[in-house]
Amino acid sequence: MTSLCSLPVARKNAVVALAGNPNTGKSTLFNALTGFRQRVGNYPGVTVEKKTGLLEHEGDGPRIEIIDLPGAYSLSATSADEAIVLDVLLGHKEGIAPPDLIVVVLDASNLSRNLFFASQLLEIGRPVVAALNMVDLAEAAGISIDAAVLSQGIGCKVVPVVATRQVGVTQLKQAIRDCLDTPASNRCPSFPECVCAELDGLNQSVRSNGAPATHPPRVQLLQTLLTPGGYHEQAMIRRCGRGLADELARRRHRIQEAGESIIEVEARIRYAWIDRVLDQAVTRTAPARRNRTEIADRWLTHRLFGLLIFLLAMGICFQSIYAWAAPVMNFIDGAFAMLGGALTAVMPAGALRSLAVDGVVAGVGAVLTFLPQILVLFLFLAILEDCGYMARAALLLDRWMGLLGLNGKSFIPLLSSFACAVPGIMATRTIEDRRDRLVTMLVAPLMSCSARLPVYVLLIGAFVPSVPLLGGLLDLRAATLLAMYAIGAGVAIPVAWLLKRTVLRGTPQPFLIELPTYKWPSPSTVLHRMYEQGRAFCTSAGTIIVAVAVVVWALGYYPHPASIAEEHDARRQAIVAAGAPEPGLSQQLDEIDRSEAGAYLRQSFLGRMGRWIEPLVTPLGWDWRIGTAAIASFPAREVVIATMGTIYNLGGDQDAASVSLREKLRSATWPDGRPVFNLAVALSLMVFFALCCQCGGTLAVIKRETRSWGWPLLTFTYMTALAYVGALATYQIAGRVM
Amino acid sequence: MNQPLPNLKRGQAGIIAGIDAAQPTAKRLADLGFVSGIRITMVRPGKPCIVRIDGRFVGLGASCQQIIRVVPN
Ligand SMILES: Nc1nc2c(ncn2[C@@H]2O[C@H](COP(=O)(O)OP(=O)(O)OP(=O)(O)O)[C@@H](O)[C@H]2O)c(=O)[nH]1
Ligand SMILES: [Mg+2]
Repeated sequence: MTSLCSLPVARKNAVVALAGNPNTGKSTLFNALTGFRQRVGNYPGVTVEKKTGLLEHEGDGPRIEIIDLPGAYSLSATSADEAIVLDVLLGHKEGIAPPDLIVVVLDASNLSRNLFFASQLLEIGRPVVAALNMVDLAEAAGISIDAAVLSQGIGCKVVPVVATRQVGVTQLKQAIRDCLDTPASNRCPSFPECVCAELDGLNQSVRSNGAPATHPPRVQLLQTLLTPGGYHEQAMIRRCGRGLADELARRRHRIQEAGESIIEVEARIRYAWIDRVLDQAVTRTAPARRNRTEIADRWLTHRLFGLLIFLLAMGICFQSIYAWAAPVMNFIDGAFAMLGGALTAVMPAGALRSLAVDGVVAGVGAVLTFLPQILVLFLFLAILEDCGYMARAALLLDRWMGLLGLNGKSFIPLLSSFACAVPGIMATRTIEDRRDRLVTMLVAPLMSCSARLPVYVLLIGAFVPSVPLLGGLLDLRAATLLAMYAIGAGVAIPVAWLLKRTVLRGTPQPFLIELPTYKWPSPSTVLHRMYEQGRAFCTSAGTIIVAVAVVVWALGYYPHPASIAEEHDARRQAIVAAGAPEPGLSQQLDEIDRSEAGAYLRQSFLGRMGRWIEPLVTPLGWDWRIGTAAIASFPAREVVIATMGTIYNLGGDQDAASVSLREKLRSATWPDGRPVFNLAVALSLMVFFALCCQCGGTLAVIKRETRSWGWPLLTFTYMTALAYVGALATYQIAGRVM
Repeated sequence: MNQPLPNLKRGQAGIIAGIDAAQPTAKRLADLGFVSGIRITMVRPGKPCIVRIDGRFVGLGASCQQIIRVVPN
């Protein structure tokens, strides 16, 4: 068998894969084994891409690489996600060796369904170790499992663990090392005669095709035979030619003639085997009690109350983004303003001071102010994810997703896109249907991601008055914020509808989702999620945003002709010489300072570019500075705040660094002295950001997931067009109403 | 007798009598434990509904419900 590849003594490196059903704690266990911090969450489909790390262990021995895989229910592979798992486990992935050992992670509180996949994995022929995880939950539910008996029954080593508390991890590491060279002993169930005969026949005809090294294991042929239209059938037909399709049809027909159901036979045999094994290994120490999950779900999935609770949860989230983050935000804002002021005082005037104050401090400071909001948003998302609510939200919204021609499965990727579209788009892999998956991917960037939040917060804080609504329950500002989030989601409806009826026509796909039991969110998981997002945000503020801020500063500072300074110095001297009385004198001098700064900015490369695009953005109510900032943020939208910070600092008066960006926006004027910003302009800018695809990362991930340039191009075009039209309409309407 | 799953009322249990094999989701349902002879309880009827099978909860959309046939208790 496949154990031929193992060299018992001289082994240097080994690859170990963690596989199992979704939400069984594979990533938690991966983190415990490797000391890594992989993302975990209490809903199926959190891990969407495989991750690798090294097994941490003392002493010598082989270097063991661990792979964390997405969850799968069966080797039959009905989604893109499961296909990836199989490719890795069976060694079909180009350039990746098949694992030397498979750790199958079992949820002890849910053993029967978990053992279905395990029994398939045992038949691949690789060494297998079972990690019996969540024994704490099983015990709490009154289920006691005898690991030794279970091990006897399934034919591989079984190690009880509690991944969240690192219980049993040392034993698991030992078991992995011990079993690297012992293939699983075959205790697996045998199939009825008619299935075996057809399987042997299929094996013969597949063997006559392709190199011997790539012969599929028997369990894969079984899936080919018993899953009509599945991933394996397609792969095998690609390999052996169309003739195989007819052959499969004939073989299936014969199985049916013998009185077996193609669809059910595997499940029937395996579950019967599982029942026999569990009968001996499991004892119920307490009768199954009516659990909390069922009671909670009576309300949380109620057709009316469930939706109300969902909306309420969202409302609380947005309200607290304001209430909790504002004080911290003002503090950070003040600190950076002081830093700018201090630098202005100590550094000699010139290009270097301008770079430090106007470029770096103004740019980065403007962005970092929004860290508290990002943290609060992720606090909420992480809690909802970890307690198990997300799957319910998907269930509740299945109906509404049905209006778009999608199903509830698309909801979780869309909800994750409120944090960031990149993981959201990757999470679409759990959607079985290709067209549904594409539609979800194309509308995911419309969900307001956390990078848009700073723009909303800045503009709402500056231009939307604080008015209590609904008897003080919600503030007008929070309501505006909610509206901005609703716009993206609202526009996604007709877009998805249109896509489903034109380029991606297809019938709605069946909806099938496992609802995990509720649990208290783990503080460490929640804090870790916040920390990770906060760090990612600060890293981007420290790298791409600094880079763009410096480029924008340079474009806005140079060529910096001496003639402007000469002209303004002459005016200053003239006024001083005229000897006007004091308050008037310094006012006039300030006036000249401002006009000088403005003249430099107009003369700069940025100013010239800005004037060139001005006709395009005037209908939206923007001046050239806003237009430039919006264009500079096409690679990554979070840049806009830094860009505006820099532009408005450069164009402002000398000690403007001590005034916050919000104040600067309020005092910005058109050449004729009218203020640039009012509510209508702020709304139009926010709508533009809500709808526009200003994110290189999103486009790159769509390209990677679809393996084509067409889809990212379509996304970019439709979103940019929508954003322009949306901003135009907002300004024209709001300008008239107000 | 043998009826489609949505006929079960809230809290009512039944035994699965079969799955309509012509549907592409049939194999997935079977692998998840929806096989003949298994007891299934309707926890929350509707579209989608929630059923309990083997101590766990699964949400099923309209088309999944239609292909499962049950004998109510
Ligand atoms: N009580 C308890 N909870 C656990 C244990 N192991 C993991 N969990 C929790 O189970 C949930 C799922 O854990 P993950 O590690 O994300 O599961 P996964 O198998 O990687 O899930 P997918 O990537 O979605 O397939 C998380 O909320 C964990 O905190 C355990 O031993 N005991
Ligand atoms: Mg995971």
